[in-house]
Amino acid sequence: MLSILSALGGLILAPFAGGLLSGVDRRLTARLQSRVGPPLLQPFYDMLKLFGKEPKVTNAWLVFSAYVYLISSAFALFIFFMGGDLLLLFFVLTIGAVFQVVGAICVPSPYSQVGAQRELLLMLAYEPILILVFVGFAMCTGSFMISDVFRLDSPLLLKMPLLFLALGYALTIKLRKSPFDISAGHHGHQELVRGVQTEYSGPYLALIEIGHWLDLVLILGLCAMFWHTSVIGMCILAAASLFTEILIDNITARLTWQWMVQKQSLLVGMGFALVNLLWLYVA
Amino acid sequence: MRFVENMIKKSRLMSPWIIHFDCGSCNGCDIEVLACLTPLYDVERFGVVNTGNPKHADVLLVTGTVNHRNRHVLRQLYDQMPGPKAVVSIGACNLSGGVFKDSYNVLNGAQTVIPVDVFVPGCPPKPEAIIDGVVTALNVLKAKMGMGPAPEPALMPGDADVAKTAAAAGESSA
Amino acid sequence: MLNFLIFCCVALPFIVGLALYCVPGGAMRKILVPSTVVVMAMAAIGLGANGPFHLEAQDFLGLPLDAAFTFLDFILLGYILFLGWNLRSRLIMGMTVLQLAGLVYLKGVLTDQATPVTGFAPDGLSLIMVIIICVVGGLITIYSLGYMDIHEEHLHLRASRKPRFFAIVFCFLGAMNGLVLCNNLAWMFFFWEVTTLCSFFLISHDRTEIANTNAFRALWMNVLGGLAFVSAMLFIQKSLGTLSTEIVLQKMTALDIKNTAMLMPFAFLCLAAFTKSAQVPFESWLCGAMVAPTPVSALLHSATMVKAGTYLLLRMAPAFAGTTMSTIVALFGAFTFVGTCMLAVSQSDAKKILAYSTIANLGLIITCVGINTAASMVAATMIIVYHSVSKGLLFMCVGSIEQRIGSRDIEDMRGLYSAMPRTATITTIGIFTMMLPPFGMLIGKWMAIEAIARATQAMTPILFFIALGSAFTVLFWARWAGILISSANLREYPVRGIHRPTVIFALRTLCGVALLFSFISPMVLKDFVGPSVSGIYARFNLRAEGFIPGANFTGVEGYSWIYLLFVLLALGAWFAWRATRRVPEKAHSLPYFSGLAVRRGNEVGFNGPMNVFEPARVSNYYLAQYFGEERITRGIDVISTAFLIVLVGGLL
Repeated sequence: MLSILSALGGLILAPFAGGLLSGVDRRLTARLQSRVGPPLLQPFYDMLKLFGKEPKVTNAWLVFSAYVYLISSAFALFIFFMGGDLLLLFFVLTIGAVFQVVGAICVPSPYSQVGAQRELLLMLAYEPILILVFVGFAMCTGSFMISDVFRLDSPLLLKMPLLFLALGYALTIKLRKSPFDISAGHHGHQELVRGVQTEYSGPYLALIEIGHWLDLVLILGLCAMFWHTSVIGMCILAAASLFTEILIDNITARLTWQWMVQKQSLLVGMGFALVNLLWLYVA
Repeated sequence: MRFVENMIKKSRLMSPWIIHFDCGSCNGCDIEVLACLTPLYDVERFGVVNTGNPKHADVLLVTGTVNHRNRHVLRQLYDQMPGPKAVVSIGACNLSGGVFKDSYNVLNGAQTVIPVDVFVPGCPPKPEAIIDGVVTALNVLKAKMGMGPAPEPALMPGDADVAKTAAAAGESSA
Repeated sequence: MLNFLIFCCVALPFIVGLALYCVPGGAMRKILVPSTVVVMAMAAIGLGANGPFHLEAQDFLGLPLDAAFTFLDFILLGYILFLGWNLRSRLIMGMTVLQLAGLVYLKGVLTDQATPVTGFAPDGLSLIMVIIICVVGGLITIYSLGYMDIHEEHLHLRASRKPRFFAIVFCFLGAMNGLVLCNNLAWMFFFWEVTTLCSFFLISHDRTEIANTNAFRALWMNVLGGLAFVSAMLFIQKSLGTLSTEIVLQKMTALDIKNTAMLMPFAFLCLAAFTKSAQVPFESWLCGAMVAPTPVSALLHSATMVKAGTYLLLRMAPAFAGTTMSTIVALFGAFTFVGTCMLAVSQSDAKKILAYSTIANLGLIITCVGINTAASMVAATMIIVYHSVSKGLLFMCVGSIEQRIGSRDIEDMRGLYSAMPRTATITTIGIFTMMLPPFGMLIGKWMAIEAIARATQAMTPILFFIALGSAFTVLFWARWAGILISSANLREYPVRGIHRPTVIFALRTLCGVALLFSFISPMVLKDFVGPSVSGIYARFNLRAEGFIPGANFTGVEGYSWIYLLFVLLALGAWFAWRATRRVPEKAHSLPYFSGLAVRRGNEVGFNGPMNVFEPARVSNYYLAQYFGEERITRGIDVISTAFLIVLVGGLL
């Protein structure tokens, strides 16, 4: 009961943490571009403003998809806080990702449709990596339960450094950072408008935005799991991951989807994951 | 509930996402609009994001000569923006048709098609003037929400002279 | 009582089929078909409620059954030989002659008439299969009543061919029931060949040139499987001295070391199962089978035919547990999974997507069989159950859509939601039951991944294949779901369509079954599938390693926790739906199209030169440059053939 309550508490706090992190992200990005950047609370202003806007949609399914996306992200995070099953967490995350795409495809708008197709390719790139990383967790702990990670004595990072890098790949994609922001980037305006998110507007865009914050928290949480033995270590790892993502975001150009799926993700990411898994298997 | 409403009202003023539509100008105004995003001016300080998508935008920046062909586009972009929203008309051509005024195909200004809240004159206006225009648009929104007085129309330097010469011309012709 | 129930499941369909063939009245068919389906479904559920049993069935109405089956075997093979002659195919004739020779040798020389074999010894697995066959297969039969009406209207046939169609469909169902219920391999072989023959007739039903070609391909591939089956029977009779599945498994599981001679027949049985389940390199017959009327595809893909292969593998799996052969089977299945998922990505024909996804899921089942632990068996059974329901539903949906819009290309299904919102919604639900939690298929896949991760052998490459394949699966399902519900209106309202009530009834019922079954999936797992597998393991004194799959399903607590989560997810979906309904009509706006959007009907586009309306056309990425059929099929075939050679040849 206590664990459920604390997980619920975490779930309520997570959007605030996610929003704040996203504010840090924007500010840090601005600094890297030698700008001043928006206030730290800017994401919250954006979100509140979006909630106050008049609803305008093409299709009722879009609204449904936006809600399902948020709900699935929240569930995934809840499972994470509960120390639940990694595979279940993965599948629940998939619901959200799929519905975001379905919502974009169900509107006859070329921009959101092309964005959705690219988003699907991105999913193709990161999903196998995530599964393999989770399998790596399972090989180290003997089960897919997140809570079992805390029974280990030494940090996972020592056993699966390459899987951590592979996870980094998956995260760059999931967070829509350059060079993988081909479907809906924060900076890549004008090319596909906002890609997969073009048709979500007003309150529904806000739902998607909150879902994105929750994903950010979940992902950084997953990164932190690699150094579970000390709280400071977890914080360092999460902060380092976030900073690296932002840095990569700012110093790379966007890829074409062919290059991304073929070379970057499949070869490098999956390669890292595979080598590490084989190593775990042999060891 | 009241608290949330107030927060939303405040947030509207903190996060004006813009869409910029060029009705067909010489691009002078457009370059000045985009200059606002550069590190020198850095409008993101005020929460401004250039969305390029009417469905996400709060403020429409419109430049260039409005004509019979593109007025439909302008109208639709305006209609697709979810309210509350504001329109800033930028540059001489967009204010009145500029040098093309009274041409056979030109509508004299964006205000003939959509309700315009702020006019930013100039050929082209400086980025500072555009940023000032957006901030004024926010004050218009603020006034609409009942949170303050409507901004006073301000004259640009030289406007007074123009008014004077116009008045003089009127007298002499009379 | 058991006698009667088995009679209803196995013999009754044959009798009804014969009756339907002889009495070509439409009115009688409309009564006879649904009532038989109801009787069969009741009988199946009755059998299921009764639980596992043994039934010594030596004779039927004074007829010695063993002799009767031998006689029927010869008649059947003779008929296939005749077909081969008619088709001028040396291949089929040669293989059939070999089968006949093998059978003669088996019956004449090897079989010891003195030891009678228990006729029926169904366990949990068989009973689950019977229920699926009778319920899902039955619903598809009811669906075809309405479907074939419109189908024949389109073809402008002079004489209706429905009597023949329904006769074969019922024989098919009866044969499937017989196949899963009986214990004697020789009897099983008879039913096995009947399904081959029925599928041949059904695929060639429309008598077009392409139908004949594809039916021929299905026939020769399945006759090859039949040949493998006969060879397996010969080896088994020779080495173990019996054809009773039960005793064979008992003897095999009692062995400490399984040598080559002992494993040989099982390699052949695997080969037979692979042909029946259309695994690569035999996938072409199932893809070709889509030329048949859609209810046939639905039958072949969901409840019958391909499931026969996986059933045989599941049945025989304990015999080769813990051997290298088993690992090869798992690798082979995983390779099929990823290969056919890639092929599915490059397809835009809805039936072909479904066909490849069927083969992929069968590959996943076979992977689980190859892993050969209790946990993986549970996963395999779960996938069989839920795949049957969802795939049957999807095929029926595609059939209805095709009859309405005249195409089954998913690109043509854009805007389908305006034309037939209910069917589009049902299809979308069907798709979601295939790919998303909390629906049953995903539970199966989840358990499969857990089981594989816990297995000892060759886990990394198998997992790599499965992870990659799953990602492809999401790709091709998600975009189809999005297309189905695409619309430029805020809401759509159903209009009266062309479909007959039986079609609508079958669609809605199966959709309801799919949803309900998914909702109670933890219960299905706990009360049906789990006990069935543990029953098998207990029967053969196997160590059920890692059983009760995963830590999640351990004990009541974990189970209720998962269940709670599913209820919450369902509540979330309901909440989302309610929020959706609250969106006011005036919130509607056209999609963003650079301010140029113009609408005509359900199409959105712009007014081009001379004010002519130009629709905006978007198409999916099919990645044909990477995964096109002509690009990778050959490679997949070569690799999979290599697997088969290793599987069979490695033992020699």
